[in-house]
Amino acid sequence: MPDAARLRLWLRSVGRSVFRVGWPRTDKDRAAAMISSFFLHIHSAKVQPHSLRPSYTLGLGLLSFYLFGVLIITGIALMLYYIPTPLAAYRSMKDLQFVVTFGMVLRNMHRWAAHVMVIAVFLHMCRVFFTGAYKIPRQFNWVVGVGLFLLTLFLSFTGYLLPWDQLSLWAITVGTNMASYAPWLGDYLKYLLLGGNVIGPATLLRFYVLHCVILPAIAVGLVGVHFFRVRKDGLSAPARPEPAPVEEERSGRFPASTRSYGLMALTDRPALPVEETDPEAEDEVMAWPHLLYRELIVLLALLVVLHVVSLLFDAPLEELADPTRTPNPAKAPWYFLGLQELVHYSAFIGGVLVPTIVVLLLLLTPYLDSAPRGVGVWFAPERRWANWIFGVLASVAILLTLIGTYFRGTNWAWVWPWTG
Amino acid sequence: MRLTWPMTRRRFLFTTGTGAVVAGVLGFLGATVRYLFPNVLYEPASRFPAGHPGDFPAGEPSFLPDRRLFVFNSSAGFYAISSVCTHLGCNVRFVAGEGFACPCHGSRFDLNGQVVSGPAPRPLAWFGLSLSPRGELVVDERRTVDPDYRFKV
Amino acid sequence: MRNPQTSPLRLHQAFAVLGVAFLAIFAWVFFKEYLAEWRTIQAQFRRLERRVKDPHALSLAPPVGGIQQIWLTDLDRVDRCTTCHLGVDDPSFASAPQPFTAHPGAWLRTHSPDRFGCTVCHGGQGEATTHADAAHHRVPYWPEPIRAGELIEANCGTCHRQRVVPQAFWLTSGREQIARAGCAACHDIPGFSGAEVRAPRLESVGYKLQPAWVNVWLANPSDYLSQARMPNFRLTPDEIAGLSAFLLAQRAVAPLDSSAIDWGQANPQRGRTLFGEARCVTCHMVDGRGGTLGPDLSAVASKVRREWLFSFLKDPMRDQPDAVMLRYRFTDEEIRDLVAYLTTELLGSTEPSATPDLRYQSPTLVEQGREAFVRHGCYGCHRFAGMENLPKIGPSLVGVGDKPVEPAEFKGKTVVPTLPNWLFLKLREPDALLAASRMPTYAFTEMEAAVVVIGLLSIRKTELPASRVTTAPQPEPYQPQGAFGALVSRYRCLSCHRVGGSGGTLSTVPLDRIGSQLQRTYLIDYLQNPGAVRVGIEERMPKFGMTAEEARTLADYMSTVFVDDSLDGPFKPDPEATRRGERLFEALGCRSCHIVGGRGGYVGPDLGDSGRRLKPGWIEAWLTDPEGWKPGTLQPNYGLRAEEARDLAAYLMSLTSGVGGRTR
Repeated sequence: MPDAARLRLWLRSVGRSVFRVGWPRTDKDRAAAMISSFFLHIHSAKVQPHSLRPSYTLGLGLLSFYLFGVLIITGIALMLYYIPTPLAAYRSMKDLQFVVTFGMVLRNMHRWAAHVMVIAVFLHMCRVFFTGAYKIPRQFNWVVGVGLFLLTLFLSFTGYLLPWDQLSLWAITVGTNMASYAPWLGDYLKYLLLGGNVIGPATLLRFYVLHCVILPAIAVGLVGVHFFRVRKDGLSAPARPEPAPVEEERSGRFPASTRSYGLMALTDRPALPVEETDPEAEDEVMAWPHLLYRELIVLLALLVVLHVVSLLFDAPLEELADPTRTPNPAKAPWYFLGLQELVHYSAFIGGVLVPTIVVLLLLLTPYLDSAPRGVGVWFAPERRWANWIFGVLASVAILLTLIGTYFRGTNWAWVWPWTG
Repeated sequence: MRLTWPMTRRRFLFTTGTGAVVAGVLGFLGATVRYLFPNVLYEPASRFPAGHPGDFPAGEPSFLPDRRLFVFNSSAGFYAISSVCTHLGCNVRFVAGEGFACPCHGSRFDLNGQVVSGPAPRPLAWFGLSLSPRGELVVDERRTVDPDYRFKV
Repeated sequence: MRNPQTSPLRLHQAFAVLGVAFLAIFAWVFFKEYLAEWRTIQAQFRRLERRVKDPHALSLAPPVGGIQQIWLTDLDRVDRCTTCHLGVDDPSFASAPQPFTAHPGAWLRTHSPDRFGCTVCHGGQGEATTHADAAHHRVPYWPEPIRAGELIEANCGTCHRQRVVPQAFWLTSGREQIARAGCAACHDIPGFSGAEVRAPRLESVGYKLQPAWVNVWLANPSDYLSQARMPNFRLTPDEIAGLSAFLLAQRAVAPLDSSAIDWGQANPQRGRTLFGEARCVTCHMVDGRGGTLGPDLSAVASKVRREWLFSFLKDPMRDQPDAVMLRYRFTDEEIRDLVAYLTTELLGSTEPSATPDLRYQSPTLVEQGREAFVRHGCYGCHRFAGMENLPKIGPSLVGVGDKPVEPAEFKGKTVVPTLPNWLFLKLREPDALLAASRMPTYAFTEMEAAVVVIGLLSIRKTELPASRVTTAPQPEPYQPQGAFGALVSRYRCLSCHRVGGSGGTLSTVPLDRIGSQLQRTYLIDYLQNPGAVRVGIEERMPKFGMTAEEARTLADYMSTVFVDDSLDGPFKPDPEATRRGERLFEALGCRSCHIVGGRGGYVGPDLGDSGRRLKPGWIEAWLTDPEGWKPGTLQPNYGLRAEEARDLAAYLMSLTSGVGGRTR
């Protein structure tokens, strides 16, 4: 055999050891590619066209995941220039702004992506509620999702302190003091968070470790569980005329969907097109290219928008943190301003009782509202009451946040934002 | 994926998009590499004023310990020799009349910093000198010079 | 999904558009980075450098490229100003346009950029690499913009902690103004001691003052004296009544008995002559002429009681142990005449009241007055028995240069809300800002307030490493003992003269080496009958009425103790040297400032009798280095050789005629 041909063969074998399937040309290959790849197997090989409709999911879960990815990548890059001690931290911000090539764009991306992620995760939760997607068999995934939402808030909150400017210091001061209103545990919680009684170098280090190690690790784990459940349970869809789930399924011992296993079985018959051989999935389409292509487009769109925003708007950086000088008003990060507005009325009710009840309600939602009706449709009339209750609560949360952000001035007094 | 002519509209759009994305990703990787190179250093400047020429006694080396440097004021001019042994980076000592000796592994250098014996692989580094507007002798560690270098003030 | 094999065309369109947009965005990121302001400026500099420098100099110059940074490790400060200000340390760019202009003056010779960077002196954001962010002007979130104009001297004062910083005129003026205004009486101010502030003690003031005057003075001191040192406390009528009663009730030490004096015999005209002879105007102003060491006496008749004045002139230290005023050796008759002159001719706007004011006998009013006295912190300047341990009334000014100010504090004033502006307004109109203030209103001129602001801005919050700070040693208070000490105390020599750095500054002659400068016989003569050595100078040593014995004691002590051995060389009259000296004297044109033989100028001292006055070693030393002996002197340094100075000394020692000598 000529050497060139042997080399080509050898290279091909090396390539095949990495990419088992190569560039797929048939649906069978595409399915095999999806299944054999660690990264692609997060999708099933075939999906319902229903789930491709942007008007159903709005792509919010996907966006949240992308934002999380952007935050991890930019975050790691930022860590290379960040020193978690008070003065050096502030100097790091200045260096990123003035002397690190692309430093400011990276910091802006990280900052804006973090803000957008809070919004995206919140909207994703709203979407899931209004489409009833938390119902059997997805109850627990809703609980995981609520956990991820809280984790997102906490990740953003811990990152807020790291620039060590006036904005971060006082936002964290207000935020941690709200935590201290929790009964019995509050003061311990604050003490643990701060690593002392006042915000200082110990606090910065704790927030740094929480922000860069502990919370991302938990988030990655929870995201894995969240995705695994989505993958196993499939995307929620309007009920099809099929028999009611059996008891095993209802209790979650069995996966409701066994789509991937069914597909594996079918790969033994490569000659026939997939669509025609799987009667169960006659209206389904291949994930490659239909789903992957859409995902790629969403990713591109997100990156373009994030870059434009980061090029046009710089992340804020105020004066070096000064514990002796409180800005007026001292505000928590914006997503806690609804809470701060509540605390303004009553420390205990606003800071402890209401948030606890809200979080408990969110966690228990799928178990309180367990009737398997109105799944897979926006604002299903069967779920009118549930939607109304959630809608009102979400609106109140948004309203309070807006009030805290725009309508509160010096000494937390009411101001009209347009009066300057 | 194979490019064939004439392309369909779909294929053209897809190829354009793919090409642009690939170029963008390569740009991203390049930017990442550039990002890793710091533009300012928090370390002693490599070009620094060592002192006024008159501060260096003629005929004997002046050792600047925090800069790891010998400055010589010879009749032919000034020159500066690094005290960093080229073997493993210990500080060499000046031995009058002989040259330099490294205390760590016994490397010996002559008065011009050339290796006489021992494990050192290269002669000691010579640095370029210049005069600042204030008349100070400026050492530039980024500019290495040959052992016949003498700087006349 | 009509055709499941292919995606819809609009997806492809979206993909292509987004892909190209993605690439375009990256191009934008790259351009933004590589068209950065500082890169453009460095390119300009390279072009300029090629024009300004010859090829040889160009080859030796360090290559320009990338961000330049000066890192001051001990201050943890980073300055990147030289990224754009590339010619700042290179004289060949002296006339180059900004940002490449070389630093003016010789400042970088004493403040090398390697050790001081830029923002230590100038302020601004050294970390920035754009013109706007570097805070050349005020920017949000950077508290320390570049200090423009004279304000830069505030930054000099951050390291230079001594009161007088020779090259920082405004800072020095500010610090002197702070000391003069007595700010440290009420505020803790680093570098200033409350003990420096001296106002009359008030324990016996009830004997001193006329009640009508007290009311006028308290309402607004500048109504009585436009140059009053006491500020206006903006007192309410009730407070004035109370304080007035409180003050008039203070009668700890009764004045010396003057009941035997026959005031009918008093001769104000003789008093006026005496007032002139004793050179009272050296310290006291009368009708706009005179010194400022003591109070203005233009309207003293409306202020003090006759009996108290008699006692005070006889022994000023009786109720004012720290008085600056010396104790003249006057006879009772002389004092009577002086008092008569002062109380009959120096009338102010308020007529002396004949009827005794009895309000001070109301205990409640007196108590109210005491409360007001404490409330307004009067004890800060007027030491008062029993109030020694009360705290300073004003807030501490430690770190005032970093005090944050909120726009709201300006209460609608249309000025830029900066700390310098806030301080300026506070000094000029303490009650016009938002926060209620007990601070009295000083009659600062705009200039005075501005220099005080510079002085205050120099007091920063952060501690500096000791290696960065320069201070002047605090002089030990000089307190001589024995007969000499008693005389120094009585005649208050140290109110005007300095010894070992402590003492007054009115006299230009420190006494430290006076024994090596002046001859003993001359000293004895001069102390008894002081005149003007320099004709043009208004402040002259008063005529103490000193006895010959006292003058000898003082002169003996000074001639043996206040000597500088390096000045006491052997001197032998030598006619040759004298002649050479005379020729040199004429050749150098000394006569244009000094009188010799009745001819000459009035700028320098009369030298007609220098042979009886000066010591030769001193003449020689003085002529060789006038600036070294007396910084700021008008005497030029001719760069004389040692023998030339010796010849001149020989000539001057030969002048003993005194022709045209002392004016009085």
